[in-house]
Amino acid sequence: MTEIIFGIIAIIITVGVYAAMVPIHKKINTPFTQPIIAVSVIIIILLLVFNIPYETYQLGGAWIDFLMGPAVVALALPLYNHFERLKKLAVPILSGVTAGSFIGVSTGLLFTKLFGFERELILSIVPKSVTTPVAVSIAESLEGSMSLAAVFVVIAGVSGVLMSPLIFKLFKLSSPIGRGIGLGSASHAMGTANSMGRSELEGSISTIAMVISAVIVSVIAPILVIIML
Amino acid sequence: MVRLFRIITHIFFLYVLLLVGNFLQEAFQLFIPGSVIGMLLLFALLKLGIVKLRWIEEGTSLLLKHLTLFFIPVTVGFIEYFDAVFSVRGVLLLSITIISTALVMGGSGAVSEYLARRKEVQHD
Repeated sequence: MTEIIFGIIAIIITVGVYAAMVPIHKKINTPFTQPIIAVSVIIIILLLVFNIPYETYQLGGAWIDFLMGPAVVALALPLYNHFERLKKLAVPILSGVTAGSFIGVSTGLLFTKLFGFERELILSIVPKSVTTPVAVSIAESLEGSMSLAAVFVVIAGVSGVLMSPLIFKLFKLSSPIGRGIGLGSASHAMGTANSMGRSELEGSISTIAMVISAVIVSVIAPILVIIML
Repeated sequence: MVRLFRIITHIFFLYVLLLVGNFLQEAFQLFIPGSVIGMLLLFALLKLGIVKLRWIEEGTSLLLKHLTLFFIPVTVGFIEYFDAVFSVRGVLLLSITIISTALVMGGSGAVSEYLARRKEVQHD
């Protein structure tokens, strides 16, 4: 009985803080007010202050996790809606995203292996450039850690958005295609949200990049792990 | 009330596709996550006109709008790795992630932009 009550409280707090953060982020648009970052930080602080184990929080959190799978399936919608535009730009988009997926997985593997990190950790960093629900399932099927994978995804998201002005200059990315593909391939939903702020065209290209890179990385990650690890 | 029922039905349909995706992954020993297989299935069903957009649109859009909400609990799981992250190893991992992310963004963007430009030039 108490487990159910704890679970319900965890859900109410998570959804409540999220609902409060969404309008705040709309007003103050910084990477740090993005709900995924701000809400997670607030909940972590709450758990630490009240000395609540993660396990207890997950009595409710697991119910929210339950919707991650259907949410990935839902990503078919933007792909379907933008299919005509995608077809016209098929070659540049597919080439760019494929290049990005290979760079992301191989550098993640290479650098962590070079510094002698343990296997579970290496396998958790591999899917960092794709959206959390997919990254988590990739990490799970590679036998890495799901939570650790989610952490790397967030770091890739935040750092990508923060670095993007510099990267655009360094790599001379000035068109919505280059910028959208870059942000969507490297920083998933957080990058896409950032692109959407500049223009809807860049935003939709970024969405497409996020979806395609999720598919490509889930295919190449197990193969590259076998080759490189 | 009717709207809520509709949304639940839509999400339930997505969930069924997820189960089919998971089943296919198990049955054929595929290494692609079941959720991604489910997504590709939904895309194919929409494209082939077997599933109409309006049958699933409301629930699907709602999930997409609040995509980040669903991965908050997993991200909070970070708390279990606190000691590991705030250490030399943690800083090293942070640097690796940031450098790799910069390379992905620059590399993928540069390839796309170069190819898109070349295509434009050809069209002119």
